[in-house]
Amino acid sequence: MNYVPGTASLIDDIDKKHLVLLRDGRTLIGYLRSIDQFANLVFHQTVERIHVGKKFGDIPRGIFIVRGENVVLLGEIDVDKPCDTVLQQVSIEEILEEQRLQQQAKQETEKVKMQVLKDRGLSIPKADNLDEY
Amino acid sequence: MFRFQSLDDDCTLEEEDGGLVAEEDEIDQFNDDTFGAGAIDDDWQEEHKRLAGLDEQPAVGAEGGGGGGMGRESDLGGVENSSSTHLPSSLGHHPLPSSLPSLNFSSSSSGLPPPDVEDRGGEGDLAESLARLILEADPAIAGVGATERPSPSLIATGASLSALHGLDRPRVLQQHSSIPHPHQPPHHHQHQLPPGPSTTGLPPGPPPSSMLSYQQQQHLLRRGPAPLGQMNSHSIWENSMGFGPVSVTPGLVTHMEDSPLMSIIKEVGLPKLPPQGRNDEGRDLSERVPPPRSSSPVIGSPPVRAVPIGTPPKQPMSHSLNHQTHHPAAVHVRAPVQHRYPPPFPERLSPNTLLNIANSPLCRGPFPPGVGPVLSQIQRAQLLNSQVAGFPRGGPLLPGAGGFRPFFGGPPPPHGHRMGPLPPHGPPNHTPPIRHNTTHLHPQHRRMLTQRMQSRGGDRGRTGGDRRSRDPYSNLMTQKEKEWVTKIQMMQLQSTDPYLDDYYYQNYYEKMEKRQERERDSSKKEHTTKLITPQVAKVEHTYRPVQFAGSLGKLTVSSVNNPRKMIDAVVTTRTDDEEKREKQVWNKRRQILYTVEKMYSLLLEVQDFEKRFVQAPEEDREALLEQHKTNTVQLCNSLRDKEWDDRVSDEQCVMIMSVRKGKRLISRLLPILPSPQATAIVMAIARNLPALAKKDKQDQVLCWLVEPLSAVIQSLSSSALTDLLQELQGSEGQLATVLHNKFGVTLLYLILSEGERMQSSDPNCQLMDDNRWTELVFSVTRELLSVPSSSLSPPLFTPANLLSLFSRYVDRQRLELLQNKLQISALSR
Repeated sequence: MNYVPGTASLIDDIDKKHLVLLRDGRTLIGYLRSIDQFANLVFHQTVERIHVGKKFGDIPRGIFIVRGENVVLLGEIDVDKPCDTVLQQVSIEEILEEQRLQQQAKQETEKVKMQVLKDRGLSIPKADNLDEY
Repeated sequence: MFRFQSLDDDCTLEEEDGGLVAEEDEIDQFNDDTFGAGAIDDDWQEEHKRLAGLDEQPAVGAEGGGGGGMGRESDLGGVENSSSTHLPSSLGHHPLPSSLPSLNFSSSSSGLPPPDVEDRGGEGDLAESLARLILEADPAIAGVGATERPSPSLIATGASLSALHGLDRPRVLQQHSSIPHPHQPPHHHQHQLPPGPSTTGLPPGPPPSSMLSYQQQQHLLRRGPAPLGQMNSHSIWENSMGFGPVSVTPGLVTHMEDSPLMSIIKEVGLPKLPPQGRNDEGRDLSERVPPPRSSSPVIGSPPVRAVPIGTPPKQPMSHSLNHQTHHPAAVHVRAPVQHRYPPPFPERLSPNTLLNIANSPLCRGPFPPGVGPVLSQIQRAQLLNSQVAGFPRGGPLLPGAGGFRPFFGGPPPPHGHRMGPLPPHGPPNHTPPIRHNTTHLHPQHRRMLTQRMQSRGGDRGRTGGDRRSRDPYSNLMTQKEKEWVTKIQMMQLQSTDPYLDDYYYQNYYEKMEKRQERERDSSKKEHTTKLITPQVAKVEHTYRPVQFAGSLGKLTVSSVNNPRKMIDAVVTTRTDDEEKREKQVWNKRRQILYTVEKMYSLLLEVQDFEKRFVQAPEEDREALLEQHKTNTVQLCNSLRDKEWDDRVSDEQCVMIMSVRKGKRLISRLLPILPSPQATAIVMAIARNLPALAKKDKQDQVLCWLVEPLSAVIQSLSSSALTDLLQELQGSEGQLATVLHNKFGVTLLYLILSEGERMQSSDPNCQLMDDNRWTELVFSVTRELLSVPSSSLSPPLFTPANLLSLFSRYVDRQRLELLQNKLQISALSR
């Protein structure tokens, strides 16, 4: 039943499996159980999926309540569609390890870059965790 | 979570259980205290473990679950077989004196070792053991043993009734668990307690069978057979779909007193409630008390049917029913595979509920500890299975969503055990579920139970593999909540001017509509749903203060939206003309004042000249003199209306004199003005005396002018004097006005006295040359005589020579009159 025809509403997405990307970069997959006017989301049987390269790992997280302002995008997952991705699922430990390595590599390149810039007298301020400003 | 995943085999359960029984007891006890026994109808942990374990079966997921379920069922059956041996041992786990049966029971049930059960497979005394089990499970029946009975028959009756009693209250029992101790009588009285608010209270003691209340019978029937009966007697279970009559619980007979009770039950053959009656009541069972467990007459014998075979059951599980009818391997312990989804326990009693019921008497202790838990874990699993029929046991696991697997196994227990009242508007083709008394629950909790029930009812109506329908967590967000959110969203769309607020959407929508109109034939009547945004009426919100008739003032009732006016200020709007006129008037006045000020300053300078001149040194005196002259000239000029006109302007004088300060100014100015101008001013004054007098009404400062005027008059020539007098008499009635005014009178007297002086002093006075003077005097006298005394204002002073003046012109009579009138005494001569 379309509650508000002609508009977009999350009402029709309830109890469906969704994938949500958060502002901090996390990807959560879960059943959307409840919403409110701020698009705060309640996820059930949530799984955090970490992607590193071609591998991914799922960490079961349980019930999530996501504040609406932290959502980047949200999309329904069609469970009936065959999942034919090239991505390879690995265990949690493995993916975490991969992630750690990835972060490490990134940090190192960043460090080198900063050093190089510093040598040249330039400096690019780090955005840190500010993603909107 | 991980723990479930790692659950390889069920043995872990039993290993854990030994040490944890006590703790779990306490925890469950606390749970029950908090939420009431009805809240947690199951031991979710156990169910979860078990079902997770089902999922983990190495076999194909679906089958594994089914197989697991089947295994459980078989285990359950096995338990019954060996109930006599098994139960006592398991019962021994319980701390019997506890008055919270459900908890203990659940914990105890967890301790049942499934593997043990699997071993047993004898069917021989299955029925018997089953009956025993059920009976033991039935608290009322169990409690029967504890009561005194006058006679076996009565006892049995009483037992059956009290069985009803106790049966009909899984709720009651649960209530008991939740009710604090003071409310709870000793357990052996439990069956004597009044059944509950919704049913009639039975008198304590075994009531006669005839007093079986309608509701109790109902309950009995509704309750249906215990789940245990499922396995061994499908025929029983057909009826037990809810409308079968006496699906007598095989376990109604305790192993101690089976014979009396059984006989009684056979006798009584608990009447069956016609299904129609049930339907008539509607699906709303909110007022109903959960019915007691029904009892079947004989284990294994065909149940009494009021409904002929083949009547489609009201419950949606018709396929299961058919299964049962077509697979009458009823007594087989291992339920056939088709029975993966055995008919749900019609009343949707959770296994734990039953266990609670069952356990209560056990825990109460009247029983020998040999009685074990009625339902083993496997039995409960089977119950669960039954209740979540339709739920794919590990069936369509979400592809690619590995993380969901453990969770997916989880849902059934809570789903299966959530029983709430079916809302009246629920789908009509579903079995109304049992609704335990949920009044002790938190309203939200109750609501959740309701909607879970509803959802389950709704889900059952659906055939096909709609995954969402089998999702036990669906509809966590109630319809109300959805509508609430929608309402908020709609409110945000409110707009008094949609074309202003959302221009593009409006245009787009119109385009769409037009396009649809074009594309759609006129024959098609379908209308796509339109979003109707709430229209906000453009209402004028004027403040109208609340007033009561006849009261003074207004009520001091104000709010943010209804502020009160502090001051009733009325805005008077003037028309342009009025404003202009007013402005002009003000402007003129300002102009006059300005002029007066300026002249004043000049005057002051002129008057100060002397002083300064004296004080100034020689060289400056010239300059001062010059300045003085300039000033004087300027003063004179200022009196003129126009620059080129030498004459003193009447208007200007009058204007200046209209202001108080102006009058003062003139009075000071007159002495220093050159004679012609001074004369002119005096003339102007005389000419305009009425006007001046009128204007002077407020100020009354004309009399300041008397002195300087007199000085001026005395310097006047005779002709000038005559002219002055003439001026004074100027227009018709002017003299009267003059006489009215003190100043006027004074002026007049001044003039006359001057004339007289002139005449008397200077014989060559030209005053008499023309008759004007005489005439004027005559008219004055005439006027003086005619004017009433009251209107004649007394002068400032009366010149002495007036009498002589008058004596010249008037006869003696008139002179006397004048004398009297004017109070001119002869002495003043």
